[in-house]
Amino acid sequence: MPGIDESLLEAMRLPGARGASVVDWISGLALGAVGDAPGGDAEATAAETAELARLATESGALALTAPPGDGTGASPGGAPGDPDGPSGKEPPVQDLIITNADSYHLLRFVTTTFDSTVFVHLWLDRSEGNLALARIRLAELTDRLVLG
Amino acid sequence: MTTSTRAPRTGEPASALLSTLAAQGATGALSTESGIVYLATGHVVHVESAVTPDLGDLLTHSGALAPDGWWEAIDQAGRRCRVGRQLVDSGQLPVGALELCHLGALFDAAYFVLAHDGPALRFRPGAAHWLGAVRAVPVDTVLRESRRRRELLHRIWPEPAVDRAPLARVPGPDAADLPARRGRTLAQVDGVRTAAQIATALACRTFHTLVELRRLAAAGLVAPVAPLVAAPAPTPAPATVSAEPGPPPRPTARDEPDTALLRRLLHALEAL
Repeated sequence: MPGIDESLLEAMRLPGARGASVVDWISGLALGAVGDAPGGDAEATAAETAELARLATESGALALTAPPGDGTGASPGGAPGDPDGPSGKEPPVQDLIITNADSYHLLRFVTTTFDSTVFVHLWLDRSEGNLALARIRLAELTDRLVLG
Repeated sequence: MTTSTRAPRTGEPASALLSTLAAQGATGALSTESGIVYLATGHVVHVESAVTPDLGDLLTHSGALAPDGWWEAIDQAGRRCRVGRQLVDSGQLPVGALELCHLGALFDAAYFVLAHDGPALRFRPGAAHWLGAVRAVPVDTVLRESRRRRELLHRIWPEPAVDRAPLARVPGPDAADLPARRGRTLAQVDGVRTAAQIATALACRTFHTLVELRRLAAAGLVAPVAPLVAAPAPTPAPATVSAEPGPPPRPTARDEPDTALLRRLLHALEAL
């Protein structure tokens, strides 16, 4: 069963991988990081990608369409009769993909039953990386991270 | 008597003492007024605070782990300080999930113990937490993150009273279309509960709840009920018309004193 470090090292075996980290998108903290970070600053990268991730999860337009029948709006969490704590554990967004001239950034949200707000960030070299493959592998390894 | 480098003088800020202990590669438990930081060979392995849900709360209240499984692990491995390991070895929790939840709880508690940097009260050399090492974090990282979190809250909405006072909804503004997490938080605001109690009710980390509450305050949806001096015991003095303390009969609301009591019991047992 992989922990945080093993999962990140596995991500680093993907072709073109430059760096990988697990980041909390509310606090902006990197809970783990391996390899390089853009500009050599893993903490700044975590804080900046976290802000982007937060905006995506909170976006009404980008997030998963609200289930039908909820006439009060797009917020499924407003229901006060939910004593079981955090509901809607599935993040409203699965991946964020940013491309630029020399690299890919792939952010994969992690689903947990308990309260966590994290994603895995994989930074890939554009000439060596395979975005489609990386996306599939990253989804698999984030699942294994929390499901064993 | 004071020759030992491990004998902290009360009054020294906890952060300064932690840095010293880290440099010494110390193992033990450092208490402050707001919680306890556990070190193993100079790294932070666990932090406890009375105002944040601990690992057990986060795991069991969310349904990630059955309460029986949690207590069973404590029974079987608490004495050996290997509860975390036991949860994984018994197949109840994947190691990645344990690490994520544990780090979440660790930094959450650390913020409340260290961000305001009260004086260190006591260091117990050699004391280990019953959870055992899950993932050790450098002291520097914890201190830096706690400061960063304080600044983050300040940037969102510079009103610290939101963090401690009972919170009430502000009538008027339209609360529709909130992000799910913020909407869930707002639904718990009842004019009585504090941020810490709301976090417990939601089985969410307290800092993360504070972030949502400060955003709600910034949006004019939530305001502190009594922005008074935050005495350590916010007794429900004025507003209680009914005889019963704790107006809404929610089991989760009553949970907090219970967990606090259990935690104290565990400390006592551990100290035997």
